[in-house]
Amino acid sequence: MYFKLARRNIKRSAKDYVIYFITIIFIVMIMYSFLALGFSADIISISENMPIFTTYIIALSVIVTLISSFIVSYAVGFMLKQRKKEFAIYELLGMEVGAIQKLFLIENAVIGVLAFLIGLAAGTMLVGILTQIVKNIFDIPHSYRVSFSIKALLLSFVFFMLMYGAGLARSIRIIRQKKTVDLLYDSRKNEVISKQGRTSLRLALVIFSVFAIGTGIFLGGYGLTMQTNSAWGYLIGSIILLLAGVYVIYRNFPIMLITYAKRKNLKYSECNLFYLGQIGHRVQSSGRMMAITAILLTISLMTMFIGLVTGAGYKANMETYYPYDAGVAFDAPFTKNSFDGLISFVDEKCPVQEEIVFYLHDVDGYSIDALALSDYNALRSMLGLETVELPDDEYLVHCDTWTHIESIRAAMNKQPDVTIMDATLKNPQARINEEAMEQFQMAGTNGYVLIVADTIAAMLPANKIRVVMKLENGGIPELRSEIRRYLNSGQWHPELQAGEILPEHVTMGVTVKAWGLSNSLTSFTSISFCGLYLSIVFILLSCSILAFEQLSALDINRRNYQIIDKIGVSRQMQQKLVHRELSTFFFIPLVLPIIVMAVLMFGAQRLYSAYVYQKGIIPLYGFATITIFAILYSAYYVVTCHLFKSNIFMNKT
Amino acid sequence: MSMREILRIDHIQKYYDNSGNITKAIKDISFSVQEGEFVGIMGASGSGKTTLLNCISTIDRASAGHIYLAGTDVTEIKEKEIARFRRENLGFVFQDFNLLDTLTVSENIALTLTINHVSPEQVSGLVHKIAVTLDIADILEKYPYQISGGQKQRCACARALINKPKLILADEPTGALDSHSSQVLLSTIQSINTELGATILMVTHDAFSASHASRILFLRDGEIFGEILKEHDTRRVFFEKTLDVLTKIGGGVGDVF
Ligand SMILES: Nc1ncnc2c1ncn2[C@@H]1O[C@H](COP(=O)(O)OP(=O)(O)OP(=O)(O)O)[C@@H](O)[C@H]1O
Ligand SMILES: [Mg+2]
Repeated sequence: MYFKLARRNIKRSAKDYVIYFITIIFIVMIMYSFLALGFSADIISISENMPIFTTYIIALSVIVTLISSFIVSYAVGFMLKQRKKEFAIYELLGMEVGAIQKLFLIENAVIGVLAFLIGLAAGTMLVGILTQIVKNIFDIPHSYRVSFSIKALLLSFVFFMLMYGAGLARSIRIIRQKKTVDLLYDSRKNEVISKQGRTSLRLALVIFSVFAIGTGIFLGGYGLTMQTNSAWGYLIGSIILLLAGVYVIYRNFPIMLITYAKRKNLKYSECNLFYLGQIGHRVQSSGRMMAITAILLTISLMTMFIGLVTGAGYKANMETYYPYDAGVAFDAPFTKNSFDGLISFVDEKCPVQEEIVFYLHDVDGYSIDALALSDYNALRSMLGLETVELPDDEYLVHCDTWTHIESIRAAMNKQPDVTIMDATLKNPQARINEEAMEQFQMAGTNGYVLIVADTIAAMLPANKIRVVMKLENGGIPELRSEIRRYLNSGQWHPELQAGEILPEHVTMGVTVKAWGLSNSLTSFTSISFCGLYLSIVFILLSCSILAFEQLSALDINRRNYQIIDKIGVSRQMQQKLVHRELSTFFFIPLVLPIIVMAVLMFGAQRLYSAYVYQKGIIPLYGFATITIFAILYSAYYVVTCHLFKSNIFMNKT
Repeated sequence: MSMREILRIDHIQKYYDNSGNITKAIKDISFSVQEGEFVGIMGASGSGKTTLLNCISTIDRASAGHIYLAGTDVTEIKEKEIARFRRENLGFVFQDFNLLDTLTVSENIALTLTINHVSPEQVSGLVHKIAVTLDIADILEKYPYQISGGQKQRCACARALINKPKLILADEPTGALDSHSSQVLLSTIQSINTELGATILMVTHDAFSASHASRILFLRDGEIFGEILKEHDTRRVFFEKTLDVLTKIGGGVGDVF
């Protein structure tokens, strides 16, 4: 019996349910498709560290569930508001609160299940597209394929239940708390522009906010170029300034609009009066709503932006992490000849164009390795850097890790000379070279190395040996595991230097640039897609809030539009007014976030484009995101417009 | 005064069909109005007066029959022209006021002017002038929900009359007013009638208000029950005649006096 009543109710209040329904479909679609992408065997097998992507996606889904449960309770709250009279009447008729709750629950469960199934179907389509995008990033041949993931389905279902449960529970509490009187009560008072807030003061505040946004962008750009930890300070400061500026401007936008329009006698032209009344009667709440929407959109676009830039940043760091095509490191006193076998092994796979075998020497009393000048210069010329001169009684430091530079400089200030085996070495110009040489393993450890004359290096113990190679065409990702297999296989028999014994633990390291590249693409993909995932959910959040707000005052709006219809405003003009009113709320909050985003994007492009390995990723990715954004946003706009119009121009021919 | 026919109602009918439950609001009504006439419409509550005005003003569509306004059949007119006709030639004083709660009284009145593209500089002056006439100048900046029913009624009149329309449809414009205010309002309407030659159709329950008209139509159950002309009668005589007809209909007039 409840079920029948519920079905009839859904049919009757279909207009209230549409936005809710669409929002849940979108959420399920996005959640399922990203989870399916994260679980896809196809994607995970692309590179060795791809499984981390799965972890990220699952973690993000928890956050998305939280945000979505907010949307659900907002949506349910909206429907409660729309139907408060109906519920109050049920209550007046003597229906118990429990029964009303049950009715409402059944209605929602039906809607929820239906939306879940449709979302799932749409999500399945979307996974195919997302998979293609990922494969495109990795340059893997691809074709559109529909596949289904049980794991993703189960997990989406769990998250869906959580979000739905949390959202519904909140709204059920609202029904219980609201008195019948409250449910019947409705206010039609207009909100007033507070008298204390003087126009000039408000103008000053808005101008100040514009400056805040400018400063925010400037600080952000500056922070991104900085190479110290204080960059975070700049970035956080910039984000706070941006958000605060955007908030304040939109908070005051309707008030400014109305004040301006009144001053300029603009209000007496055509239907401006009506439009201003529509905006003005909720001047405070519309300002608040525009501000919140703008903030959400800014966050969403920024998330997208950060996803992009961090992804690109990974690529920028690539050169530092993998300056050599291939390299092998052993912290053991092997002879240089030990690696002949390895080099010919690699040569079979990928022709070796050049190789350097060299030692890192222990320096007594210092926690730094020493590198002979001739080896240093050999490495430099392999990397295409100029060779350096160094007198026998001097040293220099090479440090490619910017976090250490300050402390090394401080240590050198305190104690400028280095004593090695009775020889005192100076560094009169306090030279520290900073070019990327991979100093965590290959050309040093911990990120820095001491360069000394060959004669001095020769006196020091050589307990660490390194091989770096330049390969034809840069090598292949598989080389890394093949080298490791070769070194561990027993085919390889290293010789010890005369008089040395093998240490108990031998540390081995293998780096292959091609492998590193494909892994950095993984990070790029993970970060970008996670950003995309989050930003889409934020867009859904702001769109549904916008739509619900616009539809919440339909009764009043219908009456208002009927009145102007009666006094002779043409239907065409009324349609125009509807569009004007709705786009004020839908599109004006977009303006600032898009400007901020464009400036940040432009800056990022300038800062990072030089480092981006695969050209066209940012435009491609940006295009995809903007397309998705535009689709979602216009879907909400069109549906809201349609509902708005069909309600306002109801029983009319 | 030229005697051109401005309005002809030709056997109109209006039913409301609420899911099988049919209400015949207008059974069959025919009459015509000459340009510059002031026609009163009287009848008991529910006799179809508002429905008739709505059909004439094209706010509602007649179920059958034709309505010719200045020669055009408004039952067949295009939507775009309807809106134009309404805003340029018609002033409608609604029974339930139909003021916008989102706008102040002065903005509500100004709306008629702005949708008719009156130049913005003139708007304030015109609004103020009519507000002074109807004695609502001191509430111009209030919102409709902040003023009394009678003030709302005068505001609704001001909005309908400010544009000096050719045809005024007034649905009980004095219903919520005291005798002084109604007198002021009626003379305003009458001056628009005599000075500008506007045609007026005014629904009223009040025989005194009706006595300002030059002709009175009586409605009962969706049909015209009778008609009296003022011609050369004084208002007093006309008023007595009206009361006679009303007693015949048995319409609720007793509460007026
Ligand atoms: N939208 C509607 N749907 C159904 N019936 C309606 C509708 N509007 C009016 N009616 C009915 O049509 C009949 C005529 O109504 P109308 O409003 O024309 O009366 P009226 O003469 O203006 O009455 P009053 O003097 O009380 O204003 C009434 O019986 C009314 O109930
Ligand atoms: Mg009526």
